Order: sequence, then C-alpha cells, then structure tokens
Amino acid sequence: MVEISSKTLQELQSEARSAHRENLRRSLYRFRSNTLSMIGLAILLFIIFIAFAAPILVPFPEDAGGATHFLDKLLPPSAEHPFGTDKVGRDIFSRVLMGTGLALQVGITIIVLATTIGVTVGAIAAYFGGAVDDVLMRITDIFLTVPALVLAIAISAALGKGIINAMIGISLVWWPGFARLTRSLVLSLREEAFVEAAYGIGASHMRILFRHILPNAVSPIIIKMTTDFGFAVLTAAALGFIGIGAQPPTPEWGAMIEDGRHYFTDEWWVATFPGMAIWLLVFSWNLLGDGLRDVLDPRARR
Amino acid sequence: MNLRLYLARRFLMLAPLLLGLSLLTFTISRLVPGDPVGLAAGPQASVEIQEALRKQFGLDQPLPIQYLSYMRGVLQGDWGRSLYTRRDVTEALSVFFPATLELTLAAVLLATALGVPAGVISAMYRNQFPDHVARVISLFFVSFPAFWLAMIMQTVLGRYAGLVPIGRRFPVIMSPPPQVTGLYLVDSLLALDFAAFSIALNHILVPALVLSFGALASITRITRASMIEILERDFVRSARAIGIPERVVIGKYVLRNAFIATLTVISLNFGWLMAGAILIETIFDWPGIGLYAVHASLSLDFQPIMGITIVYGVLFSLVNILTDVAYGILDPRIRYG
Repeated sequence: MVEISSKTLQELQSEARSAHRENLRRSLYRFRSNTLSMIGLAILLFIIFIAFAAPILVPFPEDAGGATHFLDKLLPPSAEHPFGTDKVGRDIFSRVLMGTGLALQVGITIIVLATTIGVTVGAIAAYFGGAVDDVLMRITDIFLTVPALVLAIAISAALGKGIINAMIGISLVWWPGFARLTRSLVLSLREEAFVEAAYGIGASHMRILFRHILPNAVSPIIIKMTTDFGFAVLTAAALGFIGIGAQPPTPEWGAMIEDGRHYFTDEWWVATFPGMAIWLLVFSWNLLGDGLRDVLDPRARR
Repeated sequence: MNLRLYLARRFLMLAPLLLGLSLLTFTISRLVPGDPVGLAAGPQASVEIQEALRKQFGLDQPLPIQYLSYMRGVLQGDWGRSLYTRRDVTEALSVFFPATLELTLAAVLLATALGVPAGVISAMYRNQFPDHVARVISLFFVSFPAFWLAMIMQTVLGRYAGLVPIGRRFPVIMSPPPQVTGLYLVDSLLALDFAAFSIALNHILVPALVLSFGALASITRITRASMIEILERDFVRSARAIGIPERVVIGKYVLRNAFIATLTVISLNFGWLMAGAILIETIFDWPGIGLYAVHASLSLDFQPIMGITIVYGVLFSLVNILTDVAYGILDPRIRYG
C-alpha cells in the first residue's frame, strides 16, 4: 500500500505505458517472424496500392464504366490488352484494376456494419441480461437458423438489385456471429472486479460497457473481423455472379465473371482474370488473418 | 436427462425458431419495393388482370391476414404456388431437395476425409514442414470463389479432357435409379445397380469436390488445434509409456477425443456448404434447391423463397440436433441436458 501511494500519478502512467509498449513490441515480433503473414501483408499492401493508383496506372480508365469498342470485342490477351477484352471490347486489365478499390470497400463496409450491429447487440444482451438478453438472443438465433448466403440473397433481392443493397443484405445476415462472440466475452468480463469498481465510483452503464468492458474484448473481435473479411468479399462476389449484386457495367469482379461465363469455353480470359483477382485478395487476407490470430491469441497456435 | 426426453425438448424449442424465421422471411418478402404481380402479369396486362391475379394469390388482404393464411397453409402442407410457373412450392421442393442434400452430404464427407487427416498430420508435425504445407494448401483452396473454380474445373475436366460430365445429376436420356431416398448414390446401391452408381458418382464428383474446398481450412485448423491440446494430456504420455503403438495412440485415443471439437465445426460447415451449393448448382446445372432459389429471387417470386428458407432452417436445425446427440456417443461423459 505504502509503495503504491509513494509513486506519483505520472510514474504510474508511464509504467503502464511502457508495459503496454513492451506487449506491443512482442506482438509485432511474433507477427514479423511469421513468414506467411508477412507475405500476406505484402500482397495486401500491393493490392491497396493498386486500388489507389488504378486510375493513373490503367491504359483505358474509361473502360471501367459503360464505354464500348465493338471493333475490339473478345480479343485474346496481348501486349495492348494484357488480360484481353470483353464482349463489348472493354479492356479487362483496366476493369480488374479499377475494380480493386470497389472490392476493398465492399469488404470493409460489410465487416464494419456487421461488427457495429453485432457488438452492440451482443454487449447489451450480456450486460443487462434477463429479458433483454432473452429477446435479443432469440432474434439472433432466428438469423442463425438459416445459412447466411440464403438470407442474404433473399434480402438483397427484395431490396432490389445493386451493389449497395447487396452490401446491406450481407451485413444484415453477418452480424449474428459477432453478437454471439461479443455476448460470450462480455458475460465473463462483467464479473471482473474492475467493473464493480467502476460501478462503485458511479460510472454510467454506457461508460462501463464501452470504456471498461468492450476494450478488453477487442482481440477476439478483431480476429473474427479479419477472418470474416475474405468470406465477405467472396459473398459479395457471389451475389454479383448470381446477378443480384453489382450490375454491369460496374467493374465488380463477381459480375465480371458472370459476364464471361457464357464465353468461357473459347474466350477463357473474360472470366479468368477477375476470378484470379478475387482469389489473390482473399488469399492475402487469409494469410494475414492467420498470422494475426497467432499474435492476438497466442493459445490458438502452439 | 435421457436421450428421448432431450430430443423431445430440442424439437419443441425448434417450433418458435421456425415461427420467427417464417415471420422474418415474410417481412422481407413484403418489403419488396418493386411490384412482383406487375412483373408476373407481364407488361401488357390490364389493371383488371393484375387485380384478379392479386386476388387469386390473396395479396389484396391485409398483411397479418396474409401471414396467418400462409402459416395455416404451411401447417397443412400447402406452401403456396409460384407467381410465375404456378408450380406448387411443396411439389417443387420435394423434387429439388434430395439433389441439394446429396451434393451437400457428399461435399461434407469429402471435406472431412481431406481435412481431418490434414489436421492430424499438422498436429503430429507441428511447426514443421508438413504443418506449413497443410496450412498453405488449405488457405490456398478456401480463398477461391467457388463458382469460379467450379467453372474452370467444369471446362477443363469436362469439356476439354472429357473426363467427367459437364453438368446435371444423371444423363437426360437415362432414367435415374428407382426413388427410395432421392439420393442417387444411395438409391442405385439399394437397387444393386452398380452401373447407375458409377454414373451418378461421375456426375457428383467434381461439384462435390469444389464445394468441399470451402470447409477445408476450418476443419484442418480445428482438428490440428484440438489434437495438439489432447496430445499434451497425461493419459497420452501414459499410453505411450506402457508401449501402445503410436498409430493406436493417435487413431484411437487422441483423435477420438479431438473429434468432438471437429464435429462442431463440421456441422457448422454443413450450413455453409448447403448455402455454397446454391452457386455450385448454378454452374453445374444441378437440379437442386439452390438453382430454384436463384431463379425465384431474380424474379422476386417470394412464395418459393419463403418455402426454401424454411426448408434450409429445418435442415440446419436438424443437423445441429444430430451433432449434439453425436457428442454423447463420442464421449459418454457428456450428458444430454
């Protein structure tokens, strides 16, 4: 007791900071020593660079929209068109690169929306318990009785075709996983002594929940966000492929694959390159997520 | 609690869930900003014809009445009719359902057959070369958009190499095995028709393989993690110490204990793959619920969609219940309750 009170507030704070920094340093070391996730990170940074630089890099930026060049239709890959051209003569290389930013935005939007809804629902359910918990978790269960893609198709179709509605539809079926996870985390954190202490000094429920409990539940939520990102991108592409998501001429990779599907036997390049782009993005993210899991949850990998 | 009582309780708990699900899909289907009736009647239809159609499908009633009469129908086995094809939803589902079930089951079996050994090898050689290889391979395959990979395998193996049929469950000109379960692989074996079995197997192999990739990474990962946890238990050291061969230690003692966690992931994946089948069916022209669902949602035909989601909900819930029952069989210490 004496020892603690003999330290000034500044000393205590700087001690806490250096412990924090030490933890971060160790995590970074674990992450850096994982070759696979470093490869994933490198590919991902390259993809992000492409997303920003695409409008300057690509030879035919206007082809990302509704431009048509019927004289050049369905040309095989060449020096001028590295990925060939599609059925109206648009340069597929330009379209794939210009679609990178869209794919990233779609994935991020879905995950952020789903996390926001899910974490809020799960945290409120666990913190308040009782009837609130019952009602919220029964609603969550209803969403979990059906595989996500099925409901996402139904909701997006009902809202109307288009990439925005597809993102809304996917987010609306994606949150229950986050709600379940957050609920289980908050349930155990709620019993900790620091929560009681915060309550004791008169902190409000919202303050306890968002400033004291949730920051301690961040790691597993981040792990789920990264591992889910790839699946969210795949799901959005699937909706585009079915014809419910992005509509042509949007350079969305899933819709581009659907576009090339009917030419695939002879003009294989139309559908092949957008598919490889999806794979590269999801693969790099999965490599990264795998490494992040090791860093944030050391028990997961031994 | 004994098993029978436990099952009864689980099934009883299923009812409110399915009720909630039907309410959810009903709400979704009535949110439609477009006009399904106008779409179905066609651009030339007069207002009178549209009104008649609306009346015929009960769409002129207030929403709560519509829901109640729909639910009354569902309980009596009448799940409504398609606005477009006028086909009975119940009848269509009973035709399409076995095809999707067969494809999903085949994919789950393949994913287990590939993923569990990969996980066991990873755990035995943890952080060594085989472990890294298994990790990269499973992440490699799970990252493919399934519909794209399906298209490529269909073209390369089916069209170019001619090794497998390019689509459908069975040749159109031949009659499928006599229906017992609706699963062609099972029915052909029951009829002792091995020629039909190999034809059906040939058709399902590539679609099921592509579908199984989606579950590979998670099954491998969980098997590895739980194997490692069990391998560190004292009883494993004891088993090794008294000279039980490693093969038996791994296969009989460790894997059996580790399989409980794996089973949870497999049953979760069943749902994932059932949904993924929608995309695979589109590519391979597989006459299942997925293809039916895509057509129905593209044309805002909501009677089939409601039926489809309910069928998916029932099936997925049944799988979850079966999984819980299987826990008790794998580990007799687990009590139902």
